[in-house]
Amino acid sequence: MKSPFRGFTAILYKEFIVVLRDPLTLFFMLFPPIVEMIAFGYALDNDVKHMPLIVFDEDRTQESRLLVQRLENTKTFRYVGEVWSTAELASAMRQGKAYAALQIPPDFTRDLRAGRTAHVQVLIDGSSSTIALQALNTALSITLRDSLLTLLSESGRRDPPVELRPQVLYNPAMRSPNFFVPGVIGVVLQIATTFATAMSLVRERERGTLEQLLVSPLSRWGLMLGKLFPYLCIAMTMAIGLFGIMNWLFQVPITGSITALLIGTLIYVFALLSLGLLISTRAQNQMQALQMSMVMILPSVFFSGFIFPRETMPWIFYAIGSVLPTTYFISLLRGIILRGAYFPEYWHHMLVMVIMGAILFALCVLRFRRKLA
Amino acid sequence: MPEAVIECQNLTKRFGHFTAVDHVSFSVSRGSIFGLLGPNGSGKSTLIRMLCGILEPTEGTARVAGVDVIHSADDLKGKVGYMSQKFSLYDELTVSENLQFYGRLYGLTGARLAERRETLIALTHLERYLGRRAALLSGGWRQRLAMACALLHEPPVLFLDEPTAGIDPVARRELWDLLFELSSRGITLFVTTHYMDEAERCSHVAYIFMSKLIVCGEPDDLRNLPEVSPPGTRRLEITCERVTVGLQTVRKMTGVRSATVFGQSMHLLADANLTDEDFRRALAAAGIRNADVRPIAPSLEDVFVTLTTREESQVSA
Repeated sequence: MKSPFRGFTAILYKEFIVVLRDPLTLFFMLFPPIVEMIAFGYALDNDVKHMPLIVFDEDRTQESRLLVQRLENTKTFRYVGEVWSTAELASAMRQGKAYAALQIPPDFTRDLRAGRTAHVQVLIDGSSSTIALQALNTALSITLRDSLLTLLSESGRRDPPVELRPQVLYNPAMRSPNFFVPGVIGVVLQIATTFATAMSLVRERERGTLEQLLVSPLSRWGLMLGKLFPYLCIAMTMAIGLFGIMNWLFQVPITGSITALLIGTLIYVFALLSLGLLISTRAQNQMQALQMSMVMILPSVFFSGFIFPRETMPWIFYAIGSVLPTTYFISLLRGIILRGAYFPEYWHHMLVMVIMGAILFALCVLRFRRKLA
Repeated sequence: MPEAVIECQNLTKRFGHFTAVDHVSFSVSRGSIFGLLGPNGSGKSTLIRMLCGILEPTEGTARVAGVDVIHSADDLKGKVGYMSQKFSLYDELTVSENLQFYGRLYGLTGARLAERRETLIALTHLERYLGRRAALLSGGWRQRLAMACALLHEPPVLFLDEPTAGIDPVARRELWDLLFELSSRGITLFVTTHYMDEAERCSHVAYIFMSKLIVCGEPDDLRNLPEVSPPGTRRLEITCERVTVGLQTVRKMTGVRSATVFGQSMHLLADANLTDEDFRRALAAAGIRNADVRPIAPSLEDVFVTLTTREESQVSA
């Protein structure tokens, strides 16, 4: 009779009915993550393509036109028009009509033919550093290649002295969705799960039903597990849906083991639901629970490596990232989904999440008082 | 002296500097209907919560159903039934599901759960509403459901915190009929209320005022308290025309200690040497004829008003 889990099945029975009977709550739990996922997945794309390029060609020769065409052929740039003065060129950049401008001086072809260094100016809008960097790299590589080919033909050698043969692994096309979408799943799952359980005990406290539970022989473990389990099922369903969207809509293939992926997700979701319950034991009302959840969610967005690489962060943010379950989950997802990692290569991420989940759950059970304050 | 089911000694609860329950002692014997009265905020709910083992007392001792509430609160769980002041069932669940849930919560399963459910459904006449969501029940039916849920595990004691607040008179009467039925089955009932007529229905009453227990006992004993009915005085009811005018008249008479209007009549406490004839004469002089004077016993309201006034004057003195 004195089982440590007494009351578990009762709470489970009740929670399932409550959750499934209220379509609005269920809708607000399932729908926003899907929208967030799609929105984030499309918005967080730093593949720089078709940057508007304007040209101020003072040379107007076949060689100068060839240069413009080669830049356009990279697909990084898109030729949007020609200007006739440096003032016009500067104005177009300021207005944001063009991200890059190419100025070819009148003596370009003459210098080229005479074997002198021909000068070409490229102006790049640096307001967005990612875009600027890629534009710069593309422009540099084109001109370097041209120079190299000219030098080679002059020296009589047929091949360059050193040739680099890069091979990009795991995401050969270097598509942004492959990098961002798994991270989005981590963050979106965190938002949905933390809020769901953070509200659940607080709502009972506000409605007075908690008092009724306290006079019953219900145990703390029974209560917490009963509260957690239905949300675990919902969150797993949601996660499978999100992986599906990732796979079909964003065309990100899962190269590793799907079983490992689901086990990792289960551990992660358990840790977050426990975090929500922990908030629930502290918060006095739903407003407080909401704010506390936000405080927990924001660092996960910034310091988990979801958008910004953690390696370049100041140590304090790196340290914050190290205590967030989301950090480990995102690493795990990228390992399994993109790199097809095997168990020995990611087990430590799983272990950290298991420990975090166990600590969070134990804390919420121990923190919960079977008395009123 | 029958066995005491609830017993407390100097039970005290302080929230910071505020004392919500101040050294309260009383005992309740098996099968009685114990009514705890007092104004809002006097500490009734706090007292109940302590006796149910969900609020830690600051001082004092209490035993409920043979369990020490302070040291073994866990053993108490499952031995008491509790209906809190706020409706505290699940709105999303139907009547039937609420019963199922509370039954399981108290560890009932299978045939035993089914049997208890049937018994309580029959007792509270909830048959017609089994499939209805709790949110859609009216106040009286909600209270019946709450009571059924609180009784599933057959507790020897049932605590009811203002069970009749905000429900209609018919439902109120029916709820009391239910309470009498439970009492006849040997269940001890501890009820808080601020309706005086409900106090009259209790076998024992206690009055709590500003966190202190002012009085406790059987209604008849309370009526005969010397503070309520001082020797050499009597309580009278005078029925007459223009009762408010009459009230002013009798209040001016020497020997009338207090007088108050009760509908078509007035109740007064007067020295015993004032005869019925004295009152009729005084009223006739004020132009009020055919006054009917008769002696009455003090009501519980009289008891509480007298004792509260005395308490207040002692506090301010």
